[in-house]
Amino acid sequence: MAVIELHDVVKTFGTTRALDHLDLTVEQGEVHGFLGPNGAGKSTTIRVLLGLLRTDSGTVTMLGGDPWHDAPTLHRRLAYVPGDVSLWPNLTGGEVIDVLARMRGGLDEARRREMLERFDLDPSKKARTYSKGNRQKVALVAALASRADLYLLDEPTSGLDPLMEAEFQEAVLELKDEGATILLSSHILAEAEALSDRISIIRAGRVVQTGTLAQLRHLTRTTVIAETDRPATGLATVPGVHEPELHGNRVTFDVDSDHLDEAVRALSGLGVRSLAAHPPTLEELFLRQYGDEVTA
Amino acid sequence: MSATSTTGPATSPAASPVTGVGHLLRLVLRRDRLRLPLWLVGLGGSIVASALAVPPIYDTPEKVAGYARTVGTSPVSYLMSGRQAGLDTIGGIVANEISQVAQLGVCLMVVFLVVRHTRAEEESGRAELLRSTVVGRHAATLAGLVYGVTAALLLAAITTTSMLAADLPAGGSLTYGVGLALLGVAYTAITLVSVQVSTSARGALGLAGAAVAVGYLVRGIGAMQDNALVWLSPFGWAQGMDAFGDERWWPAALLLAFTALLLALAARLVAHRDFGGGLLATRPGPPRASRLLHTPLGLAVRLQRGLLTGWAVGLFLLGVLYGAVIPTVPDLIASNPDMADVVGASGQAAEDALVDAFLAYIFLFMAVVACGFVVASVLRLNAEEEAGRAEVVLATPVSRTSWMAGTTAVALVATAGLTVLMGLGLAVGYAVVSGEWDQVLPQVGGQLAYLPGTLVVGALAVALFGLLPRGAGVAWTAVALVALQVVLGQLLGLPDWVQAISPFWHLAAVPTDDFEVVPVVVLVGIAAALVAAGLWGYRRRDAVAG
Repeated sequence: MAVIELHDVVKTFGTTRALDHLDLTVEQGEVHGFLGPNGAGKSTTIRVLLGLLRTDSGTVTMLGGDPWHDAPTLHRRLAYVPGDVSLWPNLTGGEVIDVLARMRGGLDEARRREMLERFDLDPSKKARTYSKGNRQKVALVAALASRADLYLLDEPTSGLDPLMEAEFQEAVLELKDEGATILLSSHILAEAEALSDRISIIRAGRVVQTGTLAQLRHLTRTTVIAETDRPATGLATVPGVHEPELHGNRVTFDVDSDHLDEAVRALSGLGVRSLAAHPPTLEELFLRQYGDEVTA
Repeated sequence: MSATSTTGPATSPAASPVTGVGHLLRLVLRRDRLRLPLWLVGLGGSIVASALAVPPIYDTPEKVAGYARTVGTSPVSYLMSGRQAGLDTIGGIVANEISQVAQLGVCLMVVFLVVRHTRAEEESGRAELLRSTVVGRHAATLAGLVYGVTAALLLAAITTTSMLAADLPAGGSLTYGVGLALLGVAYTAITLVSVQVSTSARGALGLAGAAVAVGYLVRGIGAMQDNALVWLSPFGWAQGMDAFGDERWWPAALLLAFTALLLALAARLVAHRDFGGGLLATRPGPPRASRLLHTPLGLAVRLQRGLLTGWAVGLFLLGVLYGAVIPTVPDLIASNPDMADVVGASGQAAEDALVDAFLAYIFLFMAVVACGFVVASVLRLNAEEEAGRAEVVLATPVSRTSWMAGTTAVALVATAGLTVLMGLGLAVGYAVVSGEWDQVLPQVGGQLAYLPGTLVVGALAVALFGLLPRGAGVAWTAVALVALQVVLGQLLGLPDWVQAISPFWHLAAVPTDDFEVVPVVVLVGIAAALVAAGLWGYRRRDAVAG
């Protein structure tokens, strides 16, 4: 059953089209990575899901309801971490956590204590004195300290140090084990790779690819690095091989996953001394998706 | 080029504490290319209109003499505009009529503009980005000073030009303009000190705003009692230059010396404090939220606590001060028999009529001041939304209506509370001086009679926020228009339909006139409709982010 379902959603601000016929489905109990560069429409999508923005057209369903009309009711079951956390400067971090959690309908005291400790946060400091990372922690603790069915996390680790990032990843996996659904927007690919069951890539307001990591990899290329007895000069003519680079007897090239067999056969004819191949990382997926801009 | 073009900062000739001030000023002017002209057009326009309106009204020597006898001896006029020199000339009359708008206007203008480009920038973190470039430690302060001085000079130039255009004597017009400019410069310096003291822009605005209020009140009370108190206020010094009278210049030196002293203090504070820090340190607070903070209403109360406390103290003291001068109002009849003719009575009746007229004006004036609170309070909605803090609350089960209603309720109920407090202040001030405590109910009641006008202005801000999120700041224009109607409406001879835009114009002038129920009911109805429109509009529009 889908927890989030956006279909053909359009949202414009003046003349800019922020969401351009966007489709997105998040299934019950999954961690769904929502990847895209800055300005692709990630935060706009999340604000539509929160009922803060009204769509121009298309249908939006979240937790079985319409976010625009049923926002307060639906919000009993979700927790949100904004991408750019702004806190009330004259309230302490502890007060902010309590205010938000109570407004959400309740606070798990044990969880609050645990999260404060795990994220190493001093709750008695005024919000205006917190650093960016500490403001982010306040928002994280506030969201994680209350139990929800759905967590909307908008670039939740921006400003966190690697230690805290690891702590965050662990907390997300615990939530998943408890059966929660998580929409995790990010431009940090390693994070999405480590946590996500499925991934959607958004670009210029529309989802351009969606699927499990394996499915996305299937669509893409494998990187091969090989050393051969004779220089691999003829590789460029093998179908599916892209941009072979020769350095003496060493060759590096990408090959479409369904042409891997031909490429390896061509190599073995040359006498393979060493061979390394790795599936594409999300970085590479990403580069391909936006490759035209990167290489341009 | 040669290798010298890459010399480090140690040998660079440009590395002074005010390096980069030119860049900062250009940035300030670019950011305020609309804001500064609006201040100048708004204030300058009222000043020009008044200066040109006065001469045709007082076109015979008899009328001029009449002004000197009546307005020139009125306690309200002393309190609000001080003792202006040369009231038996057209120049003095013009100066007296524009003084409230021009003097308070120039001070508030520099306070808002200077805080905006100094402490507000530092608090937001934008100044940090600038300070990482080649910008000296004192450059921001100097840029603030130059900007404040420029704004004050421009307004003063408009004022002097409009006086000359009204065929007033050149000497008086110039003296008045110089006094006005130096008053603005002095408050620029006060603001530059207050932005060092407080770590928040709101705190700095509060301190500098309080300094404006204190200076204005001290001058008013000193003028009313005709004593040396006026010399404790920059307002008194500016007026002490006696434009259109003796035209003395030594009070200008007083203003300049005061300014120099404060600037030295500000520079010292800048040099000794951390970037982002102030004199008032932030202390740790409670690690847990109190029970009150469970609801949007509780949160709104907590967020407005500081604003509310500041205004409550300020307005109560304002009431006490005005109350304290009530018993001295009848003395003015003794010193000026013509006054009795003006109020159309004699003896005790004349005294009562004069006191009533004084009270009616004070009630109205304080109700208009309270409009400043109600708009500031309602527009917290805007600030919360633009900072993204509304978003986190609205992502909880709190509905838009209850979030908005929380702040609205705090703003309107607090306004009613402040109104009672102002009335109490008047009664207390009166009782302390006269020893009579029987005026509590009439004065609280009288002040409350003007509350519906203030509520309409607040409700307008609510409606604007709900319907026109980006235009909610227009509510401040409404406050300015209401203030102008009260201060200048009669002088400018504005047609009734224009004056009728101000809600206060419809209310009975209690206690001079009897209380009328109908306008109160109508205004409260309008306020309710505006609030409802705002709440309705906010349910339909996008929540603004960032």
